[in-house]
Amino acid sequence: MHDAKLYRRIAVIAVLLSLVAGAFVLLLLGRNPLMSYYNILQGSGLAPKAKYAAGKAMFTDLASLIDYWTPMIFAALACAVAMKTGLFNIGISGQMLTAGFIATITVGYSSLAPAAAKPLVIIIGMVTGMAVGALIGFLKFKFNINEVVSSIMINYIAEYVISFFIQTRFIDPLSRQSRTVSSAARLTLTDVLIAGYKFNIPLAFGLAIIAAFAVKIVLDRTVLGYELKAVGSNRTAAGYAGIRVGRSMVISMAISGALAGLAGVSYYLGYFASIQPKTLVSTGFDSIAVCLLGNSDPIGILFASFLIQVIGKGSTYMSSQQSVESEIVSVITGLILLFSACSVFFMGIVAARRKRSDAGTSDKAQA
Amino acid sequence: MPNTSTQPEYIVEMRHITKRFPGIIANDDVTIQIRKGEIYALLGENGAGKSTLMSMLFGMYEPDEGEIYIRGKKEKITSPSYASSLNIGMVHQHFKLVSNYTIAQNIILGAEPKKKFLGMIPVVDEAKAEKDIAEISRQYGLEVDPTKIIEDVNVSTRQRVEILKMLYRNAEILIFDEPTAVLTPQEIDALLDIIRALRDGGKTIILITHKLEEIRKVADRCAILRRGKLIDVRDVPGMDAKQMAALMVGHEVQLTAEKSEAHMGAPVLEVEHLVVENEDKFDVVRDVSFTIHEGEIFSIAGVSGNGQTEIADAVAGLLRAKSGKIKLKGKDITDLDVRRRTLAGISYIPEDRQQVGLVLDFSLRDNLALKDYFKEPFKKSSILQQKVFEQNSEKLIERYDIRSASRGDTVVRSMSGGNQQKAIIGREIEQNADLCIFVQPTRGLDIGAIENIHKQIIAERDKGKAVLLVSLELDEVTELSDTIAVIYDGQIGKIAPAGEYTNAMLGEYMMGVAGTKQSEEAKHA
Repeated sequence: MHDAKLYRRIAVIAVLLSLVAGAFVLLLLGRNPLMSYYNILQGSGLAPKAKYAAGKAMFTDLASLIDYWTPMIFAALACAVAMKTGLFNIGISGQMLTAGFIATITVGYSSLAPAAAKPLVIIIGMVTGMAVGALIGFLKFKFNINEVVSSIMINYIAEYVISFFIQTRFIDPLSRQSRTVSSAARLTLTDVLIAGYKFNIPLAFGLAIIAAFAVKIVLDRTVLGYELKAVGSNRTAAGYAGIRVGRSMVISMAISGALAGLAGVSYYLGYFASIQPKTLVSTGFDSIAVCLLGNSDPIGILFASFLIQVIGKGSTYMSSQQSVESEIVSVITGLILLFSACSVFFMGIVAARRKRSDAGTSDKAQA
Repeated sequence: MPNTSTQPEYIVEMRHITKRFPGIIANDDVTIQIRKGEIYALLGENGAGKSTLMSMLFGMYEPDEGEIYIRGKKEKITSPSYASSLNIGMVHQHFKLVSNYTIAQNIILGAEPKKKFLGMIPVVDEAKAEKDIAEISRQYGLEVDPTKIIEDVNVSTRQRVEILKMLYRNAEILIFDEPTAVLTPQEIDALLDIIRALRDGGKTIILITHKLEEIRKVADRCAILRRGKLIDVRDVPGMDAKQMAALMVGHEVQLTAEKSEAHMGAPVLEVEHLVVENEDKFDVVRDVSFTIHEGEIFSIAGVSGNGQTEIADAVAGLLRAKSGKIKLKGKDITDLDVRRRTLAGISYIPEDRQQVGLVLDFSLRDNLALKDYFKEPFKKSSILQQKVFEQNSEKLIERYDIRSASRGDTVVRSMSGGNQQKAIIGREIEQNADLCIFVQPTRGLDIGAIENIHKQIIAERDKGKAVLLVSLELDEVTELSDTIAVIYDGQIGKIAPAGEYTNAMLGEYMMGVAGTKQSEEAKHA
């Protein structure tokens, strides 16, 4: 569609603008921006570093990037599904944490064999996330509680309740985090030796790619997707068409929660193998910007999340190479997220302009 | 059209205006000249380019070609605020008011009178505002209570507020965009009086409309537009309605719908002692009973806001009945949801086409499948069949002459009101339901489209369908109906064959003067 093409152009411009803005910050600090950006590529395994530690190579970094990328894909998809139904799931972090925690204590600390443990982690993560998401949807449907409010509250509840249990029962006294999950349950195979190099292989990555295409097909091609989008676009008209609006909202939040749950297990039992108490991962919040940058489109999200995670992953290496404080790196990442959120704003401006000129035959320019 | 040299007698001149939009020429070399102190009407079908032309005068668009002269001086009107500084004001079809502000606050918004509090802090001088407003109100017979909140006042008062807003800003040239589309007959007369008073007070009025009646009542001159082109400019006195209608649509139109005798069959819809309450738990429909048969057009006539739309919503399932029974072909459907009622055989053309009848951000193709997407062959095991969507959309676009920039791909929001309505009507008629509900089916449409829709309603009846028509247009009700029920204050005062009513009788029942006991005052007086 024409709009999609236009959006892609705007998203690319937004990213370029953010890189220019980041370059300014680096120039102010007296660093070479091009070199810095090259360091980001090196750090994320997209360009070769000058030297590697024993058993490591560019592909080691790349595998690790993919491991880091996986939860973001799920999280941004979670955001997109809710967004298409007109709901704002700001509770992705809380849903991730809950799913990760439940999967950790049920399977992560058990002595199940890998063949049983890994699928079980995925299922438990999905179901837990789905339950939390559905709860938020249900509160909205039954009591008309704004989903933003309830999901923020649930974020806090999850954060503190889970922190309590970790601190009292599952703490590793050395790391001050929850005890590491068993490697049988972990969704990332660590230090796999291939051709003499060690790799971390994320098992959920394939699932994330499948999920992206599945979400796309559901939204664009199925009865359910049609209904969710109708509800997201105009609830009154959806009700008039005979769509059960409340049910659609609950289903949408349940799907969103399930995806957030997958993000949770691929993070807490994949990329990471334990849970830091009293902390919500930023992935859940960054996923909102990723989703916006990807125009809530699953394929757009694959690209947007890749970009954001490359920067996130490569920035550590850049900060050590360029001896830039890690806070500055966060500033640059923040700038990129800010500009990507702005791309929606630019889109709005362009759309409004177009609407005004499109409205030629219409007697009412816009509502 | 040859143009004359600048004559100061024209307060507004738009010369050789051309405006193009993607796929459409909205205005094609249009020249109009308006004298100071006249009521100048722009007549044309929806999409004829009336609103576009006036939007350019009001600075919302700029013309691609042509020039605008105000008071003999060439102007480039780049924004509504610049238009405002030229003393041009516009009342839009959809009001632009802040609903939780008072009338006075809305009027002064953006042009607040200020005073200094403690000699230094500027504050809004509300007392002065109210005094000024009261004065303008008195001058033109526009009575409003400036302290009332907008959401508490009715549509005609809101419109008065819009007019006062222009006058407060010293507008000399007043543009009205379809001002009567939202009003009841009584309110229309009052508005036309106000418009006359404004002219007599020296204002210049431009009236965009497609209602011949109004033009004949108030306008001095009338420009007729058709498909973006200026067809003619006529002096209104001495013109007859048929002539104007013919110029407007380009062919002779019949002003009365032709219909044969009704052949009524078995009852289709039976409503028994229906009570419906609104959000405030107030009964807006009170103990209403009626029956509609096969091959019958049953109208509910009444002044707006007397419960008629709620009856339609309750029958379609959008509102729950508080008590009473609704039966379709003998089957109790009172507790069925919207979807099941649709499947049981009800199609519904709702009053608010943009907010209820359509998903504006969906494509035309998807909107035309809004009542079918969940059925075979539109879906096969929950996968939507794009081919079937496309065939359905092409079929309806052809059959109902729905015009849009890129056919099925067009986003409905960008379509004109008339074509949006055609899309809904086409979609609902194709449902082939036993009961068709039409609420205000021709509101805001031009005469050609109205004629077409009337024909379709009669065709449905002749196919043996039951038709429930809710309309505020008395002409429409009397022309189409076989049976008329008149509603006042949530109760039906009289149900009788259309032939038994005179217009005066209808008016009495509509105002609650006859029939019902509670007739202290008309709601919209």
